[in-house]
Amino acid sequence: CSSLAGIMLLEVFLVLGAVIIYFLLYKKKEETLPFKEGWWGKGQKPDTEEDTTIWPFKVETTEEELSDLFRRLDQARFTEPLENSCFHYGTNSVYLRKVVSYWKNQFNWKKQVEVLNKYPQFKTKIQGIDIHFVHVKPPRLPEGQSAKPLLMVHGWPGSFYEFYKIIPLLTDPASHGLSDEHVFEVICPSIPGYGFSEAPHKKDFNSVSAASIFYELMLRLGFNEFYAQGGDWGWLVCTNLAQIAPNHMKGLHLNLASVTNMGFIHLLSILLGRYLPGLFGFQDEDVRRMFPFLEKGLYRILQESGYAHIQATKPDTVGCGLNDSPVGLAAYILEKFSTWTDLEFHNLEDGGLERKFNLDDLLTNIMIYWVSGCIVSSMRFYKENLQKGIGTQKHERLTVQVPTGIASFPNEVMHTPRAWAQKKYTNIVSFHFMPRGGHFAALEEPELLAEDILQFVGKVEKEQLWRKK
Amino acid sequence: QTILCLPRSFDYSQKNAVLVPAAALGVGGMLVYWLTSRHKIKTIEMGDGWWGSGERPLKGKEDESIRPFKIETSDKEIEDLHRRLEQARYTPPLEGAAFHYGFNSSYLQKVVAYWRNQFDWRKQVEVLNKYPHFRTTIEGIDIHFIHVKPSYVPHGRAVQPLLMVHGWPGSFYEFYKIIPLLTEPARHSLNEGDVVFEVICPSIPGYGFSEAPHQKGFNTIATARIFHKLMNRLGFKEYYLQGGDWGSRITTNMAQMLPQSVKGLHLNVVFTSKQGLRMMISVMLGAYVPWLVGLTREDVRRMYPFIQKNIYDLLRESGYLHIQATKPDTAGCGLNDSPVGLAAYILEKFSTWTDKSFLHKDDGGLESKYSLDELLTNVMIYWVTSSIVSSMRFYKENISKESLTADARVGVYVPTGIAAFPQELAHTPHTWAKEIFKNLITYSYMPRGGHFAAFEEPKLLAEDIMRFVRKVEQL
Repeated sequence: CSSLAGIMLLEVFLVLGAVIIYFLLYKKKEETLPFKEGWWGKGQKPDTEEDTTIWPFKVETTEEELSDLFRRLDQARFTEPLENSCFHYGTNSVYLRKVVSYWKNQFNWKKQVEVLNKYPQFKTKIQGIDIHFVHVKPPRLPEGQSAKPLLMVHGWPGSFYEFYKIIPLLTDPASHGLSDEHVFEVICPSIPGYGFSEAPHKKDFNSVSAASIFYELMLRLGFNEFYAQGGDWGWLVCTNLAQIAPNHMKGLHLNLASVTNMGFIHLLSILLGRYLPGLFGFQDEDVRRMFPFLEKGLYRILQESGYAHIQATKPDTVGCGLNDSPVGLAAYILEKFSTWTDLEFHNLEDGGLERKFNLDDLLTNIMIYWVSGCIVSSMRFYKENLQKGIGTQKHERLTVQVPTGIASFPNEVMHTPRAWAQKKYTNIVSFHFMPRGGHFAALEEPELLAEDILQFVGKVEKEQLWRKK
Repeated sequence: QTILCLPRSFDYSQKNAVLVPAAALGVGGMLVYWLTSRHKIKTIEMGDGWWGSGERPLKGKEDESIRPFKIETSDKEIEDLHRRLEQARYTPPLEGAAFHYGFNSSYLQKVVAYWRNQFDWRKQVEVLNKYPHFRTTIEGIDIHFIHVKPSYVPHGRAVQPLLMVHGWPGSFYEFYKIIPLLTEPARHSLNEGDVVFEVICPSIPGYGFSEAPHQKGFNTIATARIFHKLMNRLGFKEYYLQGGDWGSRITTNMAQMLPQSVKGLHLNVVFTSKQGLRMMISVMLGAYVPWLVGLTREDVRRMYPFIQKNIYDLLRESGYLHIQATKPDTAGCGLNDSPVGLAAYILEKFSTWTDKSFLHKDDGGLESKYSLDELLTNVMIYWVTSSIVSSMRFYKENISKESLTADARVGVYVPTGIAAFPQELAHTPHTWAKEIFKNLITYSYMPRGGHFAAFEEPKLLAEDIMRFVRKVEQL
């Protein structure tokens, strides 16, 4: 009897030992995300070598474009809102009428085009499609310094234009009361299918495809090492870029850090985190932002994710009318600038839009979608990224070792605590609770965001953290 | 031994002479109460409502007149439509996308070309006006309906009143092909039996020619109450109900509200309130031993693979529901301004909800089951009445934390008939339907057809309605 027990015990130890060794070995293996080859042009890929020239680009408009827009604004058909509904049913059409009136009578698209053209823009063909980007170099450099390349990626329903306020703070910090210890040259591309970047003609263009294209862009511009910053889809594209090319990325700064790979620990921390925050690494501010979870987590997500659901399943259907009705397009996009800036804005009759933004900026962003006719292709990005479900793709399970800085804004729709973020971003150098601001951080609170980027880069550069990966 | 001693020690005193019959009375009374209360049906509160603009007028009675109504159009309306169709801006589909990304814009351009050049709205308005239309004000808003009586009634036959309620993105127009089969079955060579109907098809407030509510909170229960008032105003005390999509929820609420007025309820779509653990077990066992959980072979064929059909497919098809239940004013805004956008949005449903395999077709299989004239007439009803936004608000008013649980617990006791069409989005087997519909008289597996049953397979649906009503009349 005892010898049998002895054999069983030995077996148990052997199995245990094997399991431990397996985990030790498994942990050492750090996977990178492979660069995604692709060809997104029309029809067959030609045999010839791709043209790698970079040519200057200017936004243009015509009288015809303007008169077509005005005609559509004039013929807009509105539906009266329910009594006392504010923004609870979506964009309030009484307020929308005011916006349209401004759009027709005061908004000056020709002037805004000049504003857009104040920064140098370029196009270049990568993987078969024309990629648009803004490239701003510092007007002056302090003695002995070189400009640090910074790639900034927008999201939906934003555009490269969201960065127009923050760019000068980064390329010329001294003139804006910021420290000029680090000066950047900023590159803001448009995600393929958005704005002036050509839309992919083939299926399957997802965030990894975009990251691969932007990687090629940075290499083509001659940058061997660079920083990247992003929110919304920009968060995911920059994260993928950090996974594809960790040796080229000195640092990754995010104003959104979602966790899509939820596991048992996350569920447990949702159930118990309010009562035992310390156990799950939650800080007081985390608890304040996340709980009660049903209200601030689940219901809020359900309430605000209808657009993502329909765009991830039927983008061509939902975008069709929006590409044909500028008023419909404005209603759809403005709703996000209201709710994602402050959820409380849905209790206001005007959605609080002009509290944090001015109509010229909001309409310029909408005009970018209108004149480029890109609303449908912008929505297809949701399907390509989400169609297999959240948390199912390979890159979602991979971690990020690049030094990361996270600016956590309080009015973001859902809060991600550092405790969750660090499971994916294993090298978090800075994580700050920002005092105010929502989803469109760069447009709404450019100084706050710039300061956080600067302090993050300061930390990375001081300790040369990118060498220590 | 001690137990056997008890009866002997029973003291036949006066006190006991009172206690024993009192106890017997008590037990008997409880028994009677229990027996009768089992037959006392729980109903939904009728309540009341006001949906007009501003405050409800304190004085004066509501105008209860029923006014004849005719649909009209004008050159201006048609020119405006044509101009918008001509200026439509399209986005080319991805290569090989078919209908997987939504409505294929290459096919949409063909539809719009037909709409601009061949579709004759004036002619369609005449088609719409071939049945008598009316409007009447109930709870502050104008309710539109058509009322079709049989042109002749065979000697000695009773005419059954039948209220048929449409859904989204449909309209009263969906019933135009089935109405003659129900009002004049003999002429259309349907089994005569003794069943002839007069049909009333209202438009749900916020849809088509019914005025949209101006106040928040207009849900299926308010609709049910308004439709009861309508039937009452038309002089009907008892009637049959038929519905699919929202019509199914509304008619079910009507049966739960005033069962004594509902002779029978016929549905082509059934919404089950998921009953948690029991349903899960039933689903899991159903894959292997369907007979054990009351599932038939046809049930299994339609429901499994369960995760694929009931979760993935539903998630793929419910984006519209999610956005309409949360941001209807946003979702509908552009559609009320772009007829092409409106057509893409609505016709996508007529494709996918008719047959799921249509997703793989470049033209969405639309013209294999419907004519463009029919499809566009339905779209035009939404367009000329500007009702797309109010139609979408119905989703928000009905899908909220509160409303999802409210009427789920009240059963349906009126005689019910269910026609289960194979291409419906989700299949509800007989065993699950029985949990809610306590008096299920007929349950039919239809041989073909999808969500828009009355529109797509009017003869099949009419036959099933008649079969059901015949059985109810015999009871």
